[in-house]
Amino acid sequence: MAIRYLKKHAALEDVVTVEDAEALFDWLKLQAKPAVTLSKCAHVHTAVLQVLLMTRPKINGDIPDPLLRQALRPEPA
Amino acid sequence: MNQTELLDQFILEARECLEQVGERLLQVEKAPGDTELLNDLFRLVHTLKGNCGLFEFKPLERVVHAGEDLLDRIRNGRLAYSNDIADALLEAMDFTAQMIDEIEQSGAIGAGAEGRSQALSSSLRAHLSTPVATRSAEPTPGTDASASVPSPARTPAPKPSPKPSPDWASRVPPALLAKHDQGVLWCYEPEPDCFFKGEDPWLLAKQTPALQHLDIGPQADWPDLAEADCYRCNLRIVGLSDAPLAYVDEHFRCVADQVQCVPIAELLPSATSASVHGSIEAGDATTGTADILSEEQASALRAAHTMRRRGLQIWDEQLSLLARPQVTPGTVAGVHAALCNLMSLLSPDDSTRPEHTQSAAALAQWAQRHRPATASAPLSQDAEPDGAAPTDEFLGADGGAASPQQATSDASRRAGGDDTAHQKVLKVGQEKIDRLMDLIGEMVVAKNALPYLAHRAETHFQQRELAREIKAQYAVINRIAEDMQHAIMQVRMMPVGTVFQRFGRLVRDTSRKLGKDVNLVIEGEDTEADKNVIESLADPLIHIIRNSLDHGIELPEVRQKAGKPAQGTIRVAARQESDRVIIEIDDDGAGVDPNRVRRKAIERGLIPEDKAQTLSDTDAVQLVFLPGFSTADAISDLSGRGVGMDVVRTAVERINGHVQLSSEFGRGTRLRLSLPLSMAVTNVMIIEAAGRRFGVPMDLIVETVRMHADDIHHFKQAQTAVLRGRIVPLRSLHELLSLDEPPRLNEEGEHAVLVVRFGSENVGLLVDQFHGATDIILKPLEGVLSGLTGFAGTALMGDGSVLMILNPKELV
Repeated sequence: MAIRYLKKHAALEDVVTVEDAEALFDWLKLQAKPAVTLSKCAHVHTAVLQVLLMTRPKINGDIPDPLLRQALRPEPA
Repeated sequence: MNQTELLDQFILEARECLEQVGERLLQVEKAPGDTELLNDLFRLVHTLKGNCGLFEFKPLERVVHAGEDLLDRIRNGRLAYSNDIADALLEAMDFTAQMIDEIEQSGAIGAGAEGRSQALSSSLRAHLSTPVATRSAEPTPGTDASASVPSPARTPAPKPSPKPSPDWASRVPPALLAKHDQGVLWCYEPEPDCFFKGEDPWLLAKQTPALQHLDIGPQADWPDLAEADCYRCNLRIVGLSDAPLAYVDEHFRCVADQVQCVPIAELLPSATSASVHGSIEAGDATTGTADILSEEQASALRAAHTMRRRGLQIWDEQLSLLARPQVTPGTVAGVHAALCNLMSLLSPDDSTRPEHTQSAAALAQWAQRHRPATASAPLSQDAEPDGAAPTDEFLGADGGAASPQQATSDASRRAGGDDTAHQKVLKVGQEKIDRLMDLIGEMVVAKNALPYLAHRAETHFQQRELAREIKAQYAVINRIAEDMQHAIMQVRMMPVGTVFQRFGRLVRDTSRKLGKDVNLVIEGEDTEADKNVIESLADPLIHIIRNSLDHGIELPEVRQKAGKPAQGTIRVAARQESDRVIIEIDDDGAGVDPNRVRRKAIERGLIPEDKAQTLSDTDAVQLVFLPGFSTADAISDLSGRGVGMDVVRTAVERINGHVQLSSEFGRGTRLRLSLPLSMAVTNVMIIEAAGRRFGVPMDLIVETVRMHADDIHHFKQAQTAVLRGRIVPLRSLHELLSLDEPPRLNEEGEHAVLVVRFGSENVGLLVDQFHGATDIILKPLEGVLSGLTGFAGTALMGDGSVLMILNPKELV
């Protein structure tokens, strides 16, 4: 399982595939304070990345992948 | 893969490359403007050169490299393709083919090749230097290493006026653009349903060669979360790569329509880029130039830069916090405090501070207005060791390590991706297929032993039940074996076009040498036949085409006088007719003069004069197949040595084919070759002589008859008999094979006679008995037996015995 849905956050680990995007999206929409942890994440599929960009959850810990970190940095409004 | 395997692979690929190169060269000559073709040609030569470089084949590499440079010029339109260049390239190609042969035989290139290689490459390079004198300032491609890399990026030497920057270009910091002014800026907008096609645009973008910057954002504004479809891609990825445009194009080739690439050099007029550089340098000068900064100072600067980035990130986070629906007053107060602190950190000179307000919106507005500029001191950009991820060093300990790792995985994934893009073709050496074929042959033989076993079970052990089961099992195995045989046969099938390919070159070279104008038309090159058949066809067909060129097609003036178009036509057509392949070679040349043929045949003492006169014109034409026949009066390097058509006929007949020649004097000649599809399985008839069994190929057999001994006429040593109104000479197989027994008669005093065909004549072979027909896999005689005449080969029979297959032509 590439995503573990915990009480306060979802932990995305290793490679998160396209199949996981929908579940993550639904889960994030239901959360009052959506948060994810990406510290053990090697790669997210574009669809998952899109979900993260759309929902902008709080990101716990750091992101090992520098490109992903850059992509998920808060949007300059 | 060890060295020899690698070498084998190289030879295999080089051959293939050369074949295609030869074909393309001729095509290019016909259509010199076809850039697609030129690109293809260049790519082939480039591959070849790369392969050569893998080994220490200097002479080979030098020539190929020169050819590549020449083609590169032509491809870029800086050199016009001409006949001379074509000749030089073709000559170089021939040399390369020779070298490859040499490498295959000895594993190395002989010392003599060095000189020729030098000469060839300098003659190729001569074309490089001739075209335009103004180009002389350019470095000679042979001397600089970069010339070997196909870099279309360097072609637009005079910069065109800068293109208007696309709006997405603003997503990349301008400083980064200035720094990588040789790079490529690209924007990738995946189509909305790309996720359903198994694409991962982010991954693809991340793997762009020499990626310097990557930015991802929505194409259009995000829809409302409740209605949003997470599987509808609404992303735009903008990136900056330092690789040449061609590499980026290549990387995105699968989604080419969704990607726009712009070389930065085209965006930035040279003046602007210079001014940006200038400003950076000026900045350096004021702060104390970067190169004289001590290591400590540089790292302090980088730290400062990192802090600034981080600060801005926090600033942005505050903004997004405020943008959330339902912001509590506590949050607003927290954000306010954070912004105040950030402000003093990031812009110490700016004394404006946000007012104490409870409204989140007002605070957000202020924060947006007063956000410190992203572009910090330009020096810090410059001080970065690489621009890929400017903040990595300080933000995460693993950040720095990740980059090289990623680079290597990039490379490996790229290599993997390339493979999938190619058609799935397995290259297998022929000997492996042959081995498979042999194994299947053995399987067929082993399978054929089962009926014997069933027979034994029934007669010897009285196990009728068991015999029946064995037979049932045999039927199953038989079916599978036949399928296997069929499948492997399919593998060995090759289009005849592979042989036709070389005709283009042959016709071109020969017709130019002879001053004739010849158009070669090839039809049905997709027709397939067994590899062995195809390969043994090559030489006879080249003979035929040469004949047509030399004797058939007349000189243009002669043709026009005869009322024919000046350009002669040679048509080579292949097609399949039931289980045979028919190849026809037509020319609209002079045709064969039957009287001349008669005269020449008499002159050369091939047939007596009186016989020649009685021959019909059609039959007279067939005299050209006689060994030693030639109509040419002088021996040229093309023909006239008297090893013409009879060689063709022997070669074709060796693979069980037939040749037919029909010619209309003054109008043209047609040669028709009929060949078997496959030579793998031979149908033979088993005969017995003196207690031994022999096989005779079925396609030679006309009939089997019983002939009473009294009907055989003896004339001195010769025996003849009248069969269906024709006199048939009879030979005894016992005598031919020096068996010690005379032919046996059956109870009625009859001889068993096998009538076989020799060209247009029939000959009867006296044997003892006939044993029916069977399919066998013919194995040629090997080793000490290979010198044996009279036998075509051997075959293993189902009961384990070896059957000798006769070759009646050699026997009689």
